[in-house]
Amino acid sequence: MISQTLGENGHHTAGQCEYLTLAFSPLSAPLRSRWRNNGLSADFLGDYVTTFLPADGNDSGAEKRQSQIRHAVTYIANELLENAMKYHERQTDIPIGIHLELGVDDISVSASNGVGFIKAEHYKSYVEDILKEDPADLIAKHMEGSATENEPNKSCLGLLTMMNDYGARLGWTFEVHPTYSGMMIVTTRAVLSLKSFPGVSA
Amino acid sequence: MKNINGDSYEIRLEEDKATISFKGALRLSGTDDYGPILEMLKGTLMNPAMPIVLDFRELDFLNSSGITMFSRFVIEARDRSGVNLHFLASEAIPWHARSLKNLQRLMPTLEIQMS
Repeated sequence: MISQTLGENGHHTAGQCEYLTLAFSPLSAPLRSRWRNNGLSADFLGDYVTTFLPADGNDSGAEKRQSQIRHAVTYIANELLENAMKYHERQTDIPIGIHLELGVDDISVSASNGVGFIKAEHYKSYVEDILKEDPADLIAKHMEGSATENEPNKSCLGLLTMMNDYGARLGWTFEVHPTYSGMMIVTTRAVLSLKSFPGVSA
Repeated sequence: MKNINGDSYEIRLEEDKATISFKGALRLSGTDDYGPILEMLKGTLMNPAMPIVLDFRELDFLNSSGITMFSRFVIEARDRSGVNLHFLASEAIPWHARSLKNLQRLMPTLEIQMS
């Protein structure tokens, strides 16, 4: 398997962005006790980003726009972390990471985790499919399908709602792990345009 | 009155009015963890003559597993005849305007009252 990037490429020019990265060791605590930390981390990223985004002037919509950005970052960070925790290959010490990057025109949130080649290939095939179709239609299909399945595809709706409900552009990087044989580092990236939140500039 | 409470959320069922109120942040990990809440929701379908009201006005956060759980309830409500389902939502909570429309798409007769 080779390294590959699909969809949105979120790299900013060096020096033109602020960023923050959190990393978690998958071996230090079981998944269930990690779960509460996902919410804390996501809330922190949402609060953190708004401190860099002063509203223009004193218009009455400023507070609402800040709230919209905070919520969008929190929702996306929470979904990406939940997926990274769920699908991370157990028993490896490849860290699970969440990365927030604030550029001039957009905000990027990405999460990375380690997976084996077979799971990575399945995920890649799945994201190639969702890039081809309308996310609103896929959400409806997912919901209708989940009504008859006991265990619906857990990551599916999170990615689709990021695109459809929050206007995020998604991208994925699949990298062969440099030392763990048969392992890849999968990074899922969601980019929000600041222009979609009128009145706010970095 | 029935309640389901967690670290970050409270859910209250007023059986005489078939109203379920949600408060806080729902970030449970999947189908199994959302099971008791879905069962509470389905319980309101036993008496379809009464309008069913889901009050989200104090539910600040819902993860995608929670959205899936509500979609399962809405589909079940849609597929029974005569169910009258209403959502109470708030403009001040961003996810309401962004995501509840996906549930309304499943059941066009579902009324969302935004305040």
